[in-house]
Amino acid sequence: MDRLKILCFAGTYGLALAVELARVVVRSPLRWYAGVGLTALGWLVQTVYLANLAWTSGALPVTSPFESVMVLSWVVALIGLYLMVQWPRRVAVGFFTLPLVLGLICGAAWFIPRSTGRDWEGATAFWGTVHGMFLLAGAVCASLAFAAGLMYLAQMRRLKSRPVKKFGFSLPSLEQSERVNRGAVVAAFPLLTAGLLIGVLLSAVELRKGGAGTSHGVPWYDPKVLSAGGMWLVFAVLLHARFRPSMRGRTVMMLTIAAFAFLVFTWVGVEALRLPTAHGPARAGVTP
Amino acid sequence: MRLLALGVDHRSAPATVREALAFGDSRLGAGLDALRESFPGNEFVVLSTCNRVEVYAAGPADAAPDVDALSDFISEFHGLRHDAFASHLVGYHDEAVVGHLFRVASSLESLVLGEGQILGQVREAYRSAVDRKAAGPVFHAVFQNALRVGKLVREKTGMDQGKLSVASVAVDLAREVFDTFADKTVLVIGAGKMGDLTLQHLKALNPGRILIVNRNLGRAEAVAARWQGQAVPFERLNQALIDADLVISTTAAAEPIVTHDQYVRVQRARRNRLALILDIAIPRDFDPRIGDLDQVALYHVDDLRAQAEQNLSRRRKGVEPALQIIERETAACYTALRRQQDAGMLLRQLGDRADQVRERELEFLFQSLPQLTEADRAAIAHMASRLQNQFLHHPRAAVRSAASEPAPPDAPHPVLTAVRHLFGLADAPVPKPGLKKIT
Repeated sequence: MDRLKILCFAGTYGLALAVELARVVVRSPLRWYAGVGLTALGWLVQTVYLANLAWTSGALPVTSPFESVMVLSWVVALIGLYLMVQWPRRVAVGFFTLPLVLGLICGAAWFIPRSTGRDWEGATAFWGTVHGMFLLAGAVCASLAFAAGLMYLAQMRRLKSRPVKKFGFSLPSLEQSERVNRGAVVAAFPLLTAGLLIGVLLSAVELRKGGAGTSHGVPWYDPKVLSAGGMWLVFAVLLHARFRPSMRGRTVMMLTIAAFAFLVFTWVGVEALRLPTAHGPARAGVTP
Repeated sequence: MRLLALGVDHRSAPATVREALAFGDSRLGAGLDALRESFPGNEFVVLSTCNRVEVYAAGPADAAPDVDALSDFISEFHGLRHDAFASHLVGYHDEAVVGHLFRVASSLESLVLGEGQILGQVREAYRSAVDRKAAGPVFHAVFQNALRVGKLVREKTGMDQGKLSVASVAVDLAREVFDTFADKTVLVIGAGKMGDLTLQHLKALNPGRILIVNRNLGRAEAVAARWQGQAVPFERLNQALIDADLVISTTAAAEPIVTHDQYVRVQRARRNRLALILDIAIPRDFDPRIGDLDQVALYHVDDLRAQAEQNLSRRRKGVEPALQIIERETAACYTALRRQQDAGMLLRQLGDRADQVRERELEFLFQSLPQLTEADRAAIAHMASRLQNQFLHHPRAAVRSAASEPAPPDAPHPVLTAVRHLFGLADAPVPKPGLKKIT
């Protein structure tokens, strides 16, 4: 039943993507209205779905990887919708944002556990939520940087071809994609760092309370912690590259894609691959 | 109803004739007023651009100007001898007028296929005619449809996509690389004609700064003065390249003036910012390997020409679908126009017939009842008038509704035929096929 509900808005986003892809052959201005309308409809249905989740659980829907990824896709869809309306209509924003949104929703629906698998209370619950919120905000920025990176690479590839290829749609200028990417990377790093730091401190306090296996603490050798550390390092390198003139352009964009892949793996890959972790729902043996 | 379009265009007449016949901004209003005075009861629109001068006329069959009358008017208005332009005139009649206007608005008749200006010029011509009260119901319908069809053709065929000149292709590329230009520096190397032309197009982007480098500093200063730019001595080329975001190179140098290694150093000094280089010199001014560098887009004049040719061929592919759209829309528009005319005539006939019957019967009644007072007569006449209007209300509404319904182009609408039969009105005139182009 739950997957059926998800299919409602995922299907609407899918239709919006189909309309967006149709710009290659359909030149009617109605196509733009249909694309924006369907994306907005999908977003509204998803909003109702997330509101229902929050109402049912009595908490913000960021307490499990499933909910967090759903919220992430919801925010990315909203940003995509904003750009579709804000940027010139010939720019194919939906080509890049809608597959990302659909990928996140489908990944969350089919591969990620639904339950939080934890029973946090008091200050631990509060800081746990703050930890999740920071990571979520960082993930939104990383997703945006990823989409802008793809747009940059596609546009650069197009401009390097002779004669310049016509796709039947336009892409943002290189400068615009670079600017969005830079802003998103610069915002993502401190947000992810804060989120991870709060998680580490929270885990240290919990471990001191009860030791590994008996408390909410996650030991440093846990796959989730190791992959999160790796992700942080990749983002640190990305931020460094972002400000190194010699690495501007393609290198930064490739690094952005790698960083996003790392983020996805850290967030949901450990659970999806069923690696032994004491973080989140896997602790309680919850399966997708 | 008759329609006529008469004029000259870039195919039929040289520029001198077109200039002599042009209705410039100052003369357009006077021209429309003079047309209305010369041919009262007719509608007129004058389309006057640098590539065409056309007078569109519409009016009743017995009062509409013909080709001779209109060319006499043109001769008199411009003070030109008839033989100075008559052989260049091209005319269209009736349905062909609608088709021609639709092709013009869709820029199929333009010198540059698919150019966007003509739609605005058609709109402006129509607006001027409306302002001068020279356009009436016929041209409201025809020109509003022309503007819609022009837009539709561009949307459906992509006829307006991609630029056709090297300079405008360069501007398009600049927009693909950069988002804003107020903070950008444009560098022109060489003070040649091509650089000047490209700069003319790029100036529309409002770049923040323009630098001109030339071996002859005097020539650089002359070009810089024309474009509010800054002349830079050739010895400071590297510094200018470092400052520039967009480079146009047009020198006549026999060898590349910027080598790969040199530009690698420049790009390092530029902190690897995005750069667009338009090398429109033959032979090349920039080593082609520079185009492989990250953050650099380098185009040679051959690339730009190939791009322009590709765009033109894409536009040409759109001609056939555009003609199909125009043919369909012309038939629909002209049929609707004729039907509106038929319906209008039928409503007039219906009203006249009812008025005749009412007046005859009232006269008979008043003669047979001479004792009626003036007040009684007025009340009875008023009642008869109301009765007539109420009886005719539904037939009139049905006729108006039928006139706006789609139907086969060559047959009158069955409702119109039925009303004619029921009220014993004369048959509608048989529609004449649209006359062909006259040259």
